[in-house]
Amino acid sequence: MASSLRALFRRRSRTLLALAGIGISAALLLDMTMLASGLTESFGELLGAKGYALRVTPKGILPFDSDATIRDAAATARRIASVPGVAGVAPALGAQLYPVTGDSAREPVFATGIDPRGQMLYRVLRGREPGPGEVVVSEPMARDDRLRPGSVVSLASGLDVSLGRPRGTRRYVVSGVAEFLYDYAGEHSVALPLGEVQRAIGRDNQVSLFGVSAAEGVDPGALAARIGRVVPEVSVYSTAELLRETSRRLSYFRQMATILGSVALTVTALLVATIITIGVRERFGEIATLRAIGIARERILLGVVAEGLTLALLGCALGLPLGLWMARRLDRILLSFPGLPSKVTFFTFDPGRVAFALAVVVAVGAVAGCVPGLGAVRSPLGQALREEAE
Amino acid sequence: MSVISARGIVKEYPYGGDSVRALRGVDLEVGPGELVAVVGPSGCGKSSLLNVLAGIDPPTEGRVELLGRDLGALGEGERSRLRLREVGFIFQRFHLLSVLTAAENVEFPMAEAGVPKGERRARARELLEYVGLGHRVGHRPPHLSGGEQQRVAIARALANRPKLVFADEPTGELDRRTGDEIIALFERLNADGTTLVIVTHDTSVAGRTRRVVEMADGVVVRDGRAGG
Repeated sequence: MASSLRALFRRRSRTLLALAGIGISAALLLDMTMLASGLTESFGELLGAKGYALRVTPKGILPFDSDATIRDAAATARRIASVPGVAGVAPALGAQLYPVTGDSAREPVFATGIDPRGQMLYRVLRGREPGPGEVVVSEPMARDDRLRPGSVVSLASGLDVSLGRPRGTRRYVVSGVAEFLYDYAGEHSVALPLGEVQRAIGRDNQVSLFGVSAAEGVDPGALAARIGRVVPEVSVYSTAELLRETSRRLSYFRQMATILGSVALTVTALLVATIITIGVRERFGEIATLRAIGIARERILLGVVAEGLTLALLGCALGLPLGLWMARRLDRILLSFPGLPSKVTFFTFDPGRVAFALAVVVAVGAVAGCVPGLGAVRSPLGQALREEAE
Repeated sequence: MSVISARGIVKEYPYGGDSVRALRGVDLEVGPGELVAVVGPSGCGKSSLLNVLAGIDPPTEGRVELLGRDLGALGEGERSRLRLREVGFIFQRFHLLSVLTAAENVEFPMAEAGVPKGERRARARELLEYVGLGHRVGHRPPHLSGGEQQRVAIARALANRPKLVFADEPTGELDRRTGDEIIALFERLNADGTTLVIVTHDTSVAGRTRRVVEMADGVVVRDGRAGG
């Protein structure tokens, strides 16, 4: 075995070049493994970040998928709260408001009406939850507009298209600066008490959705079914259902990851098989001699397979840090696409999955080493010796 | 008891859709302690005979007994173990493992035979000294001359104290003087009690053995003392 491994590095530059190739293939496979489920898993973590396991939306609508709203929101909230197992109900109404400077309005910001006693959209970093006439602003907005708790911001509910002027402008005091969980990088967002947003956009007693938290020990799936029975005019999604839907919508990512991962595995197998085949061919005489002097075929085969295993293991050792580095770079590129929450990640490091992917590379290396090894030890010995002598 | 007993050996090799007959009914007996040269022109079947006698190639017809064991009755694994423990091999191109030192090459068959590490180290050194390479134990084959490599190969062949050694053109890659040294080593080995069968087309080798088996066209045409 030791002699086989030494033989592997007899042609050092050739082996190192092959190792570089296997390392890159392993890195690609690793990235594709992390990509295949990364966004869904990361989105799942985000959905559960504030402890709201269910989303209640207008019938047939996914959260924030359209402008549709749940009417008679206060009564609906009470009916949901009355369902056994519900620990809390957090309303949210999405809207667009226009920051106003002087007489003109700027680009609209995403505004959410929330209940400051329980909301699922942000974490306050500085200051406190908003009261009447107050607003919480996102960090990028605070940074860009130089806002801090106590600052005043003017927000308009719409634009007068003919005059190009803001209308329905109101002044709000900034009560806090927050990290908005679903914002894309650099997005300007605000959150206000629900009633303020309902009044500003003329949607009294309406919400886009409710977040529902389950009491400890309550199964979210069963709770969703109970809410659905009590409030049949809404749709209730558990985090698991939302993830399934997200996963369905992102199936092209998985298909791409599967194809690229398969290509990476094939390249690994070809590289290992090629380098081992060349090495076995070069040592054809040595191997025939070893068989002639009585070294067991299994021992010789084991030595050749060990070469494939070693190549694959070293390739994985190179591929792991390379793959993680590539994943960080690719994540940055992919997340720069507009509209994606900056808190999600396309590549999730799951030790179990990563270990499985690397184990597959090692297994492929062993099999790829096995093929030329079997060829060498199964060839008729007398013929091999004659060929070598010629 | 014969060390080798071969009766009616026929060996055919497939060639295209047909077959080539390399051995056409060879009978051969080799007794303990003999030093036998198998000679003949290229293609006469010398190496084919060696492969059949050593259990490397099965005969198409005939029966071979090696050290009292019927090779036809042994499986591949048993023939392999027989070669490992009781037969030594020396080849024209040495075929040492180039990544191992001279001592490690000699130890290799002993490790396969399960000889303890300390014992095989001592024996490898002893054998390398026997073949005159006591000062080269730590050298790798690429740093040894052809003659030195063949001496290492001889030491490797002797590693498991074989009763019989086969050598296939052992001087074929060596100059005259080095070849003579190797033959002298074979003579010493034979004098120490090892049976040797040497396949060669080198007439000077044949001239130094007590028995010469001459082959032509796959049959033994003469079997007797050198020059006899």
